[in-house]
Amino acid sequence: MASADGGAYSYSLTVFSPSGKLVQIEHALAAVSQGTTSLGIKASNGIVIATEKKSSSILVDDSMIERVAVICPNIGIVYSGMGPDFRVLVARARKSAQAYWKIYGEYPPTRVLTQELANIMQQATHSGGIRPFGVSLLVAGWDVNRGSTLYQVDPSGSYWAWKASAIGKNMVNAKTFLEKRYNDDISLEDAIHTALLTLKEGFEGQMTEKTIEIGVVTVPTEEDLEGWSISSANTRPKPTFRKLTEEEVRDYLAL
Amino acid sequence: MPQTRSFDPYTENGGTILAIAGQDFSVIAGDTRQSEGYSIQTRYAPKVFRLTDRAVLAVNGFAADGNMFVKKVKQRLEWYRHAHAKDMPLRAIARLIQTMLYAKRFFPYYVYNILGGIEEDGTGAVYSFDPVGSYEREACRAAGAAQSLVQPFLDNQIYFKNQVPAPGTTHPAYLSLPDVLSIVIDSFTSATERHIEVGDGLEIYIVFAKTRDLQDFETIRAKNVHLIQELTVAEDGERIFVLRRDLKKD
Amino acid sequence: MSIMEYNGGSVVAMVGKGCVAIASDLRLGNQALGISSNFQKIFPITDHIYLGLPGLATDVTTLKEQFRYRVNMYTIKEEREIEPEAFAHLVSSTLYERRFGPFFIEPVMAGLTKKPSGEYKPFIAASDLIGCLNFAKDFVVAGTASSKLFGVAEGLWEPGLEPEDLFETISQTLLNAVDRDAYSGWGAVVHVM
Repeated sequence: MASADGGAYSYSLTVFSPSGKLVQIEHALAAVSQGTTSLGIKASNGIVIATEKKSSSILVDDSMIERVAVICPNIGIVYSGMGPDFRVLVARARKSAQAYWKIYGEYPPTRVLTQELANIMQQATHSGGIRPFGVSLLVAGWDVNRGSTLYQVDPSGSYWAWKASAIGKNMVNAKTFLEKRYNDDISLEDAIHTALLTLKEGFEGQMTEKTIEIGVVTVPTEEDLEGWSISSANTRPKPTFRKLTEEEVRDYLAL
Repeated sequence: MPQTRSFDPYTENGGTILAIAGQDFSVIAGDTRQSEGYSIQTRYAPKVFRLTDRAVLAVNGFAADGNMFVKKVKQRLEWYRHAHAKDMPLRAIARLIQTMLYAKRFFPYYVYNILGGIEEDGTGAVYSFDPVGSYEREACRAAGAAQSLVQPFLDNQIYFKNQVPAPGTTHPAYLSLPDVLSIVIDSFTSATERHIEVGDGLEIYIVFAKTRDLQDFETIRAKNVHLIQELTVAEDGERIFVLRRDLKKD
Repeated sequence: MSIMEYNGGSVVAMVGKGCVAIASDLRLGNQALGISSNFQKIFPITDHIYLGLPGLATDVTTLKEQFRYRVNMYTIKEEREIEPEAFAHLVSSTLYERRFGPFFIEPVMAGLTKKPSGEYKPFIAASDLIGCLNFAKDFVVAGTASSKLFGVAEGLWEPGLEPEDLFETISQTLLNAVDRDAYSGWGAVVHVM
């Protein structure tokens, strides 16, 4: 059992406690559960990931805050926990996606990118001189192989695929709410509304386009796929992941 | 101080020539592009020349040498006419060309020659030469920039190399004129497609033995009146025609 | 002496109607001296991809193993077979890694791509020795007989060949081209997918 202050195993190096725990990782999870709520829902024709972005002061220019990030045209991620750690992971993930593109001429499948991120986070749990990442991630993406998939990655480096999940503050309540609301043939539009409703449950203050961020994965049509053949000229594939604009978020909130 | 000076009087002007012998006709063709390096000097520089009513010479390589060589061959043929009151036979022209080429064994004409026409026995013939006079009578030959592209195609289509006749049949001993013409045209369009030094125009000389029935040719001629020109000089002898076509200019 | 001509050998690949073919000679030489008449230059990568590696024989072996390793790692990591397009890019990036000390190989690939509709689309590609890809729609050639292969293929190939006719076309192209190349020949192998 870890003592309240973490005891002798809580500093600097991630070291096993005699009871077999890595207390630093538990602390990292604590950092995550203090972070703002994020959630993701897989719909029949896409995925939505959403989060609240609250700034500590009205004086902060909130256009600077980005909590949903595009990694490559087919993958986006959202986080709960420490903002600076997230930015490092976003940079690493984008580099990884581009490196993959340089080798194979296409962007990585969601699972491969997720594994890449999980690897980075796992290495932080046993490398000297660094601490684990203080974030959990939701990775949403689409690829030809597995279609749309939603993954969660934790500070330990473990990852799972979800139909719907929530991380951060209120995650327990949010998950319970999602369990009640979820069904397998929910549409993307419905999923976006469910996402907003779920966020509303634990929301402090006003939900506006300034305090909500949404990203969606859409499934490309057969014609889209035909046109993306590499050998047919240098056409750029239409992104399957995109962030909703403030106008779009406002419209969803108004409904 | 030691000084070195170089004298390099040769260049290579691209293009490709080709000749195929039939039973009683002969086809000699060449493209008309003349280039030096990556520059096209002219899109119409003939490489195929009528020597007599039964002999056509195609010359490929260094154009200046080629033109001078043809001029000298024509001159020797005229002297022969004055001395003997007849055109030199094809096999004699072939031997003459060897002698003329070998005469310059140590400062050669930098050209590959293909001589086509009709022998005295009325058969179609093709003679091919190297720059210093080695020569051989053959059924077909390609030379020049696209030789490596065209010759294996000819091996396959003219000599039926690597082809096995259907059981109970044999390969034809001679090809018909329409077949030969379409193989020539295919060869040059293919070479034009893949070789930068080949293109612009195509000149196909066709020489017929005097005994030959020209019915099949007249059918082709009727369909291509504007493309075909007769070059025959003497009556009741071999007949000689030239067919001019465009090739891609890019 | 060119390193590309040290061992000799040629490969050609062609597209047909719902099919592809790839063929090579079997010669291994030491310049003018013939060493083997059973030197394979074409290797299966997946059930739907074949790779031809004409060029320096030692690099044929090295690259074959390199691609075996990389494709196995891909299959395990991604839990799927690599598609011809992605494999072509893998070939390209593998060769470009050695941009300033290249493998003396000019690869030729042939494969069938699974379309979203489920049907298979023919795919061929070739690359130079540092990975510049050429996605041709008709045929690709490489090796010591490449200029001859270009000439014959340009004359014999036509669009929409059925598997039997494609087999005949690629066989005649290879055979007649290598017969005019001293560095290629000594047997041949043809694959039709």
